[in-house]
Amino acid sequence: MTDSPHLPDRTFPRRTLLRYGGYGAGAAALAGTAASWDRLTGADIPGRDGDSLVVATLGSTFDPAAQRALREGFRKLHPDIKLRLLPIQATDWSDFFAKILTQIAAGTEPDLVYVATEGVQLFAQRLGVPLDGLVRRDADELREYFADVHPSLVESMMYEGSLYQLPVEFNAADMYLNSEVLKKAGAELPPPDWTRDDFTALLRDMKRTGGSHFTPYFWTNRLWGGVVPWLFANDTNILAESKAPGGDWLWDGFYPAAQRRGRGGGFRWRTPQATHERVEEVYDHLASLIQDRLCSRPEGGNGDNLVGVFSTGRVGVTPAGGFWAGGLHDAGMRRTEYDVQYFPRWRTQRHQFGAAGFALLRTSKKQDAAWEFIKYSVRKDVLAELFVANQTTPARRSMVQAARYAKTGPTNWQVFYDTLDKFPTTGPIPAPPQVAEVEQLLLKHTGTALADPRGVRPALRRLQGDLEKAMERDV
Amino acid sequence: MTTTQHRAEAKAAVGKPEPRPTARDRGSRLLATLFLAPTVIGVLVFTVVPIVGSVVLSFFHWNVIDPPTFAGTDNYREAFTDDTVRVSFANTLIFMFFAVALQMLLALALALTLNNRLPGWLRSAFRSAFFFPLVLSAASISVVMKYLFNQEFGVINWLLGHVGIDPIPWLTSENSAMAAVVLVYVWQQFGFSFLLFIGGLNNIPKEIHEAASLDGATGIRKHLAVTLPLLSPTLLVASVVGIINALQVFEQPYVLTDGGPGDSTRTVVMVIYQSAFEQLRFGEASAVGVLLFALILAVTALQFRLSRRFVHYQ
Repeated sequence: MTDSPHLPDRTFPRRTLLRYGGYGAGAAALAGTAASWDRLTGADIPGRDGDSLVVATLGSTFDPAAQRALREGFRKLHPDIKLRLLPIQATDWSDFFAKILTQIAAGTEPDLVYVATEGVQLFAQRLGVPLDGLVRRDADELREYFADVHPSLVESMMYEGSLYQLPVEFNAADMYLNSEVLKKAGAELPPPDWTRDDFTALLRDMKRTGGSHFTPYFWTNRLWGGVVPWLFANDTNILAESKAPGGDWLWDGFYPAAQRRGRGGGFRWRTPQATHERVEEVYDHLASLIQDRLCSRPEGGNGDNLVGVFSTGRVGVTPAGGFWAGGLHDAGMRRTEYDVQYFPRWRTQRHQFGAAGFALLRTSKKQDAAWEFIKYSVRKDVLAELFVANQTTPARRSMVQAARYAKTGPTNWQVFYDTLDKFPTTGPIPAPPQVAEVEQLLLKHTGTALADPRGVRPALRRLQGDLEKAMERDV
Repeated sequence: MTTTQHRAEAKAAVGKPEPRPTARDRGSRLLATLFLAPTVIGVLVFTVVPIVGSVVLSFFHWNVIDPPTFAGTDNYREAFTDDTVRVSFANTLIFMFFAVALQMLLALALALTLNNRLPGWLRSAFRSAFFFPLVLSAASISVVMKYLFNQEFGVINWLLGHVGIDPIPWLTSENSAMAAVVLVYVWQQFGFSFLLFIGGLNNIPKEIHEAASLDGATGIRKHLAVTLPLLSPTLLVASVVGIINALQVFEQPYVLTDGGPGDSTRTVVMVIYQSAFEQLRFGEASAVGVLLFALILAVTALQFRLSRRFVHYQ
C-alpha cells in the first residue's frame, strides 16, 4: 500500500484511449455486419405478426399434434384468418388465469382464452363477451351441437342470464377403483347406488388386506375433487347455491321441455355456509376416515403423484374424472386393472364437475373471427382430433362411446356421461368471481380442520368468517 | 503516512479553489462513466424503478383489469390487521431463524472438519457435492422432496418404518410442516455458506494457528480464540446473505405445502404472490412487499451495527 496521500495516477494516455476506441469501432462494425445478415426473429413464427387471432390455452391441455390439427383444420376452413395458438404453461387453472391477467395488464392480451369452471364467472364478469346474440344469429348451425351436449354443462357456462362459453370438455368426480385391490379384499365393483356406508365398509376391507404401506382412499385437497364431492353428496355446499334468472332464450330455443326444467341463467354462489350442519357432517366423516387410517391426510397439489401410487396398488380408491382413463393408460395400466363407479350416495348422489371452453375477451378486435373459432372448436371432428388420448371427457355425448375406451378402459366408461344424464342436478364446483380467494380459504381451512378431529368446528368457523370477508370484496 | 496527517492535509485544503480538470481528467471520467453506465442503468431500470413503482402502487387499489383507484393508507391498514399477513411475517421470521442458524452451523462444522484434513481430491469432491444442490432449481428440488416426504408413500417414512418408527405426516401436520420446509431449504442452501467458510479458512495465515499452538491452545479453544474471530468477516457476509435470502423464501413452501396446513408454512412472499396474482389485489400485495422490504432493511442494518462489536478484521 502506498503511503502517498494522493491516489495513484489512473488516467488513460491518449494512445490507450485510441486503442480502446479502435476496439469499440471494430466491435460496432462486426455487430453491424451480423445485423445485416438474414436471421430468424419472433416475427418469423407463424402468427407472430400482430395480425393473428390469438388463442391462449393452458399448456398441458392440447398436445402438439392436437394443436397442429386444430390450427390446420381452422386454416382450411378460414384461409383468411391467421391463427396463433398460445399454450401458456401453468401448474393449474388459477396459475393460468394469473398469467393471462398479467398479459392483459401488459397490453398483450389474447383474443380467446380457454377457461375452465374455476374462471368462468371471473372472466364473464370482468373480461368476457356474452355470446347470446351470436348464438341466436347462428342458431341453425349450433342446433346439432346443443342437442349433443348436456344442459348442465351449458348452464355452468352462463353468468347472470348470458352464455359466455360453449363447453368443449368436462370432468365429473367419479370414483376410480383398483381391480387388484378389490380382488384382494374379496370385493366386487360396487353397484351404482352404493352408499357412503358401503364405501366406508369397502375401505375397511381394503385396509385389512392391503398391508402396512397401503392407503385405501387417497384424495387431494383442492377445489375440484377434494372435499366438494362429499359436500354435493350430502346435499350441501360451502357457498349457498341459487340460480340467476334468464337464459330462457337458450333453453326454449335448443332444449326439449324435460331437459330445460329448472334451468336458469347460471349459478350464483354468494352466501357462505361453512358452519352449516351438513358441511360439519362432511368434515366429521372425513376426519373419522383419517382417524381410522382409511384415508390420507389431505395434501395439496394437483394429484399428479396419484397416478403412480394408484397404478401400483398402493391406493385402492380415489375420485377422478374421465381424464384419468388416458392418464392411467399412459402409466401402463391395462383396462382391466381398474374401473370406475359413481360417487357414493349420501343424502343425494349429486356429483360435481368442472367444464371448459373458449371465452371471447372484450378487448379483442377480431370478435367475428373469434366467434368462428369458437364454433369450429366444438365441432365433433375437431373434438375427436383434440381428445384422441382420453385426457378428458368430451362435452359431446355422442363422443363418449365404447370405441373411445376400447384401448384405455375403463370397462364401466358409461359412468362418465351418465353422471350428467342419470343425475341431472349434478353441477359445477362453486366458483364465483372471487374463486381464487375462495379456493385458497377452502384449502387452508380444510387442512386445519382435518389435522385433528377436535379442529373441525373451529376451523369451519374461521372458514365461514374468512369466506364472508372474501365475498364482500369485489374482485 | 498516518491518518492524522491525512486529516491535517484535508483540513488545509479546505477553502482552496478546486483545480480545473484537465482534458485528460475529463477523458478518464467519461470513460469511467461509460464503463459504469450499463450497471447503473440496469440497477435503475430493474431495481430502483420497480421499488418506487411498488411503493406508489401500495397506495392504490388495482386489480389489473380496471384502472387503479387511490386507496390512501388502506392497504397498509389491511396488512396490519389481516391475520394471514401477520402469521406470514411470524412464519417467515421463525423460518429465517432456524434456516439460517442451521445452515451456518452445518456449513461451519463441515468446513472446519474438511479443511486441511482430507486429501485435495476428496476435498474438491465434497465441495462439489455440497455446492451441487445450490445450482439446481428450487422448484424442481421441492417437487422431488414432496414425493420423498409424502406420508403414505414417501421414501423417508418407508426408511423410518424399517426402524420401527410410525409414518410422520411431514407435510400435512402443522407440527412438522415447517421443519420439513426448513430441512429442504437448508439442504439446498448450505453449500453457499460452506464455500464461503472454506475460502475464509484458507485466508487465515497458518502462522497464527502455529503461534496459538505454541501458546498451548488446542482443538476447540484454538477455534474459539483464533479461527472464529478471524472468520468473523466471512460469518457476517454469510449471515447477511443467508438472512436476506431466507426472508424472501418462496419456492420451497409454495411447492411443498402451498403454505399449509392452515397457514403454518405461509411466508410473506407467498402472501404477496397470492394477493397479487391469484386474488388480483396488487395494491395490498405491494403494501406487504414494502413492509417486507423495510423488515429486510432493518434486519440488515442491525446486523451491520452489531458487526462493529463482533467482527474482527486483521
